[in-house]
Amino acid sequence: MEQHSDSFLDNASAALKNTEQAKRLDMIAVFAPQMRTAAVAGFKEFDALRDHVKRIRQHSLDHLEHYLGQFEHEAVNNGNHVHFARDGEDLNSIVLDICQQHDARRIAKGKSMVTEETSLNAFLQRAGLQVMETDLGEYIIQQAGETPSHIVAPALHKSADEIRQLFQAKHDLGARELPETVDLVGEARQVLREHFLKAEVGIIGANALIAENGYSMLVTNEGNGDLCANLPRVLIVCTTIDRVLPLAEDATAMLRLLVRSATGQSQTSYTSFYSGPRRETDVDGPLETHFVLLDNKRSEILAGDYREMLECIRCGACLNHCPIYTSVGGHAYGWVYPGPMGSVLTPLLTSLEQSQALPNACTSCGRCAEVCPANIPLPDLLRDLRHEESVKKLSAPRWRFGLKAHAWLARRPSMYHTVTAIAINVLHLLGRKRGSFSRLPLAGGWTSERDFPAPQAKTFMQLYKAQIRQNDE
Amino acid sequence: MSNSARSEIFARLRELSSKASEEDIQRDRRALGSAPAPAPETLEICEAFLANVLKNHGSVDCAGNRSEAVKAIGYHLYSHFRSHRLVAGNDRRLAAMPWRDAGVLPRFGSLEVGEPVALSFAQLGVAETGAIVTWTGKANPAAHNFLPEHHIVLVDTADLVPTMETAWARINQEFKKNGRPRGINFIAGPSSTADIEGVLVYGAHGPRKWHVILMGKVPASALEMARASNMPA
Repeated sequence: MEQHSDSFLDNASAALKNTEQAKRLDMIAVFAPQMRTAAVAGFKEFDALRDHVKRIRQHSLDHLEHYLGQFEHEAVNNGNHVHFARDGEDLNSIVLDICQQHDARRIAKGKSMVTEETSLNAFLQRAGLQVMETDLGEYIIQQAGETPSHIVAPALHKSADEIRQLFQAKHDLGARELPETVDLVGEARQVLREHFLKAEVGIIGANALIAENGYSMLVTNEGNGDLCANLPRVLIVCTTIDRVLPLAEDATAMLRLLVRSATGQSQTSYTSFYSGPRRETDVDGPLETHFVLLDNKRSEILAGDYREMLECIRCGACLNHCPIYTSVGGHAYGWVYPGPMGSVLTPLLTSLEQSQALPNACTSCGRCAEVCPANIPLPDLLRDLRHEESVKKLSAPRWRFGLKAHAWLARRPSMYHTVTAIAINVLHLLGRKRGSFSRLPLAGGWTSERDFPAPQAKTFMQLYKAQIRQNDE
Repeated sequence: MSNSARSEIFARLRELSSKASEEDIQRDRRALGSAPAPAPETLEICEAFLANVLKNHGSVDCAGNRSEAVKAIGYHLYSHFRSHRLVAGNDRRLAAMPWRDAGVLPRFGSLEVGEPVALSFAQLGVAETGAIVTWTGKANPAAHNFLPEHHIVLVDTADLVPTMETAWARINQEFKKNGRPRGINFIAGPSSTADIEGVLVYGAHGPRKWHVILMGKVPASALEMARASNMPA
């Protein structure tokens, strides 16, 4: 996918002015956390489970060579073709080759952020293939020529009205009103059903790969991925090398975290494990199956300081809980992965230079780390990326100067206390009458939107010391 | 191309790997144990399973024996479709049901496009999540799970397991007996989507209705208690 992260600030300003979209984002910010909280509370051992799965993920990554090799061995035994792709280009050409070998024209595709990363659809379409996204959200944005705004619910930025107009324009089905959401879903079902039945190749992603038995796990509510996996005569599973887990029970242990964190369910409607092509006794299923396992910098991340990011299970909870994401929406981030996880992942998968704004799209509130089912210290990773920006001189010179000045002062506690006490006192005296400032030097951005409250006369440290003295007396 | 990509990727991973032996890696994994179990279920297993099926927006029925099960299927078909027709896989257990008791006429084979109802005999029911488990094969073509308007599932009380770990233990036994099936499907609800403005709609692509019939010795109050536990507090 083409990257526009360098215009994050402009994208964000534009998004803030879109009041209709802001209303829908507000809904996510209110309801998604409530649903997650209820689901997590319903599973009493959630924290212990989170720790267990973290240990399993760390163990899997520590021995990734072993487990990836074991998965490949088992998957080949199950009758699959297993391919490895260094980067997006590799993955795209492997998939196109398979499609061309089968003279395929129609592709039914399940939701896969990995193939968004590699721009697979555009690549296949350029070669003359008809690729249809079948997850309802992905289908909507594909028809609209847009990109996903959320990794779990890709079309959340669109209103029912917009979708109605889109369907009426794109589907040649005569005059009809489509008054309710259920009518819209029904129409998409009808259009996509036909495509499913005609498609020669199905492409899906995977939520996990299981080393011990060579199965891949697919988690959906719509069942579209399962239709892709069962109806066409060729199935291609595209995922990344870091998804492998040792045991089947590890995949379902992770599932307990994933589903509660993503949608607040205890299990989605469909959790499916696929091992390969049709067996002798089968009456349906693909005749040929492929795994395409993508690296695309994962092995680099594994070797570096941000390897914990590979433990991300793509639930989207950090998006739903992020004050920045729920204000500006996913498109502002300008690439596949938005929100806190995206702000870490995007610089790692593309470059820090291209994504310089993203690690700064953070208030350090810490909610993402609190709710992350993989226990990834997202605010710490974002801070480390900001530090890297500063070291590489990617951030604005005045920011770097300001931070340096602050660091110099903060390392000298007594001077720090004296200087802040003077500043606070001056602000207190100046603002005593009005109680707040409508303008302040060096804080124009802040005061352009709201007043700055005038400080109390004393700093926290002065009050704290006074309290201790009082207690001693 | 993919061959050189494979060796490159594995070479890089080897550099990063712990170089531990397979035995050591397996021992380390065993030492990590199993996931903490969900809070011990205070409900009886049938009741817990039924309560979770309801929570997953399935509809439920209980049947004490095969004759009652057939009648429950007949009732569901007649009340929704005014018909007694359905499709079922070539499952010996389904072939042996006393279909005449309810005048139900199953067609044994694979669902054809346009046929509205499929019946599956679940291999397992998981109380923890209210999911039923099927695997692909003659007895249950995959299309039966994902293509019909209604999916009716029979679950034998003897096939209920408490957790997903116990489900895997049973599936691993099947692997030993008959090899790995192509697909293993945990189903926990009708096909649904909330992709348009977060509004939940059933029948996104697959079944609009998911009807589970629990067959066998089900405690008399189980269904009533399961329904009560799904009432808003």
